[in-house]
Amino acid sequence: MNTGQTPEWLLTTVTAVRDLMIKRLEAESLNEDAKREMEMALEELDVMWEELQGQAALLIRENERYAEFFEYAPDAYLITDAGGNVREANQAALDLLKAPRDAVVGKSLTEYIAIGDRVTFLTRTVGLMVGATARSLAWQALIQPAEGDVVTAQFSVRAIPLKKSGVGGLCWLIRPAA
Amino acid sequence: MASDIMDLTVMWLGLRAHVDQLAEERQQYVDFFEQSPEAYVVTDLDGTIRELNGAATDILQKRRGYLRGKPLTVMVALDHRREFRRRMLGLAERQSDQRSWRSVVIAAGERIEVTFTARPIERRDGGLCWLLQAVQ
Repeated sequence: MNTGQTPEWLLTTVTAVRDLMIKRLEAESLNEDAKREMEMALEELDVMWEELQGQAALLIRENERYAEFFEYAPDAYLITDAGGNVREANQAALDLLKAPRDAVVGKSLTEYIAIGDRVTFLTRTVGLMVGATARSLAWQALIQPAEGDVVTAQFSVRAIPLKKSGVGGLCWLIRPAA
Repeated sequence: MASDIMDLTVMWLGLRAHVDQLAEERQQYVDFFEQSPEAYVVTDLDGTIRELNGAATDILQKRRGYLRGKPLTVMVALDHRREFRRRMLGLAERQSDQRSWRSVVIAAGERIEVTFTARPIERRDGGLCWLLQAVQ
């Protein structure tokens, strides 16, 4: 798989072409040759513009494909932010918690942990967020779904750094215990 | 002309920022899929492999390039294929709620018992998301 990075040469070239156009204008040397050069530069810009748009379209398709995988993965996955609030939940997670998406996203994950397990759950979660414990860990806890009885589940959690913001999140894999 | 250039520049930078954001989002998805210790395979409804992660290639003992585009059933032992297909089609056609079953794959010449769990993709052309777990 490639990395999905936008090639630097694209931005460098477009910047150079733009600079050339500005210099021509400043020098007021708009004779026929200069005009032709500028037209060519603009055509080149159009080509690069289309290339970047093509890249955006490709990334959108790929992201949709991966988003589908996340959404319909056979395992229950949740992404929580630094404050422990759920940012994303897939279909299997909603099935497990027996709750609609809007009752889960934006809420604290601890709301779905049985009261007796909440302190331990929070301690471990905070330890992972502040780096006091390993980058990933697993343990069992009782889930309290929105309806019905508690369920013993295996929690596997790993930190997921978010590149630009630098704010970390947690990715939770939750499986009912066998 | 100068204002046209400015407009062009603003548009270019906007599109560039958008592409960077998409690329970052894609990388996060790739990391999520690739770095998962769980073995995942995504197939069409007929079982043709679209994508699989590193943990899945570890179980199946085949290169990703070899497996993409092939039916998942080619990895299933001959004596288990009919049963595997029956269950897979039952799930793909929504005639069965049975999402998890054991089967046998042939990996590096060895018979390995694997639990297959699948979930239908309920979008566009559909498909199946699979979890493969080698039975200890």
